[in-house]
Amino acid sequence: MLSVALIAFAGFAALCMAMDRHFSELLGRKPGSGQLRLLRCAGWLLLALSLAIAMHLRGWAHGLVEWIAVSMAGVTLWVFGMPYQPRLLLGLAVISLVLGPLLAALAR
Amino acid sequence: MKEGFRQAMAWLHTWTGLIFGWLLFAIFLTGTLSYFKDEISHWTQPEVRRHALDPVASLGLAQRYLEANAGHAERWMIRLPNAREAALEVSWREPGSGRRGGVSKPLDAHTGQPVEVRDSRGGEFFYRFHFQLQMPHPWGRWLATFCAFIMLLGLVTGIITHKKIFKEFFTFRPGKGQRSWLDGHNAIGVLVLPFHLMISYSSLVIFMYMVMPASIMASYGGSTEGYFNDLFGREEVPKVANAAAPLVPLASLYAQVQQQVPGAAMGYVQVYNPGDRNARVSFTQSVAESIAYQRSATWMFDGATGQLLTQGAPESATMMTAFSVVGLHMGNFAGPWLRWLYFVFGIAGTAVIGTGLVMWLGKRQLKHAKRERLPGELRLVEVLNIAGMSGLLLAVAGFFWANRLLPMAWPGRADWEVNSFFLVWLVALVHAVLRPGRKAWGEQLALGALAFALLPLLNGLTTGQGLNHSLVAGDWAMAGFDLTALGTGLFLAWAAGKMLRAPKSVAKRAPRAPRATVDSTEVSGC
Repeated sequence: MLSVALIAFAGFAALCMAMDRHFSELLGRKPGSGQLRLLRCAGWLLLALSLAIAMHLRGWAHGLVEWIAVSMAGVTLWVFGMPYQPRLLLGLAVISLVLGPLLAALAR
Repeated sequence: MKEGFRQAMAWLHTWTGLIFGWLLFAIFLTGTLSYFKDEISHWTQPEVRRHALDPVASLGLAQRYLEANAGHAERWMIRLPNAREAALEVSWREPGSGRRGGVSKPLDAHTGQPVEVRDSRGGEFFYRFHFQLQMPHPWGRWLATFCAFIMLLGLVTGIITHKKIFKEFFTFRPGKGQRSWLDGHNAIGVLVLPFHLMISYSSLVIFMYMVMPASIMASYGGSTEGYFNDLFGREEVPKVANAAAPLVPLASLYAQVQQQVPGAAMGYVQVYNPGDRNARVSFTQSVAESIAYQRSATWMFDGATGQLLTQGAPESATMMTAFSVVGLHMGNFAGPWLRWLYFVFGIAGTAVIGTGLVMWLGKRQLKHAKRERLPGELRLVEVLNIAGMSGLLLAVAGFFWANRLLPMAWPGRADWEVNSFFLVWLVALVHAVLRPGRKAWGEQLALGALAFALLPLLNGLTTGQGLNHSLVAGDWAMAGFDLTALGTGLFLAWAAGKMLRAPKSVAKRAPRAPRATVDSTEVSGC
């Protein structure tokens, strides 16, 4: 389930960065409109992927419940951590993006 | 028209939230503690030792003890030890002792001997309080159910009031007074919304039979018992035949169940008419095994011959839906990490209510910032805020201190733990009345910090099962409780520090006041 949590966390991070205001806050520069669209697509894709993995690993009932739980926890951590440790969270998001799929592949 | 609607919703959100806020805060906090009901009970009754699980051996020990000590009982009940409850709990009812008269004994799962435990309600107290509110039978449930309805209403009106739910989905701006409180309130409310909606809606489903009884009354008349018997598929048990017949070994029946569902953990085993020709034995699967309660996962045996008579009736789709919703609320299926998330989300729900109450007052206090004294109604809200939040935390700590400090042989010991809870709460209320607002907050939070942070030490001194012991022995329920208490203490110390450093932050906030007012009227009324 850690893989699901990490991928969902990266997904929400991407969705957050897909917003003009947060993008400039976090990266300190103005985004291009293509970048925002890309981030938005990536974010939704990651969320869908994490849900699919959760259901695959734990069956639809437990998978759905646990997916909601870990994604709520992840996004809450992201939102309340952002004002204090933005760089750390960005780093975590990147690590999640790499480690999440890796763990999922190992879990098969 | 549209603005009018939003304002009406904001008004409803503000005022129902205020009036039921304190009660909801208490329900949410104690409900959150209930996710660790068994772990709390383990802490409050540290005499019970944990052993490796062995259901077959446990059944043998329970049967031996009950045959020796409760041979003439009309019914036995055995709760097998599980990952969270270490004791092998046996209880029985003597013939003619009525519905409530029963004896219950925790047995050591290894020796089968009764454990002399201190008299305490433990986690059960918080669990019961969160939906019965320590009131006489139907009234507490009614009030708690009504509060669940208000919570659901608060969520819906809150979503309508909160205009920029998507635009500010990821927004939290700390250090900006009222603005930050509103951001925090909104963010926790929105980000954890699936949990909040599930919890408040499922509370209504749990007490559906009480809130919307028309269809039950139409089919079953005045008695809800018939309805529950049908719903849970309870079997009729024959009357005692008064012909002695030895009870088959329960372990052999357990083996039969295991053949049908390999690896299924059993929760309860009930024996009706033990030692009689008409003995019946029912096995019920542990509730930790699935999200929804499964009435089909029960097996009824003839206790004299060992023959499997019936298995629970299958659930209809409607039943599965309702049982799933209820199961999600209870979280019995949750393993350790999901249970912790349940706990965290429960605290999030408590925090939404708490921040709402603080903001209601904060916004109105700004208008009176220059005056020496608050108007009476605002002062009342302030006192209730302090007693309802920091006072409740003190009361919870008081319960645990009483658990460790009351003498073991004290008559009515368990009741006195509960009394300590309410007495501490009352004292906190009096303190909040006597002291000025910020000082009262600071002092109560500081005392709470001490009370929680010292709990692990108190535990170690009085039982010898402090962190130095539990961490080494791998007793994670005990260690988890102590570490959580320590964490709570640190958090309260941080909050107390903020409150006691009052003058500086008030001076800082004053020039910002006009902007804060603009901000909060923008989101009208929260």
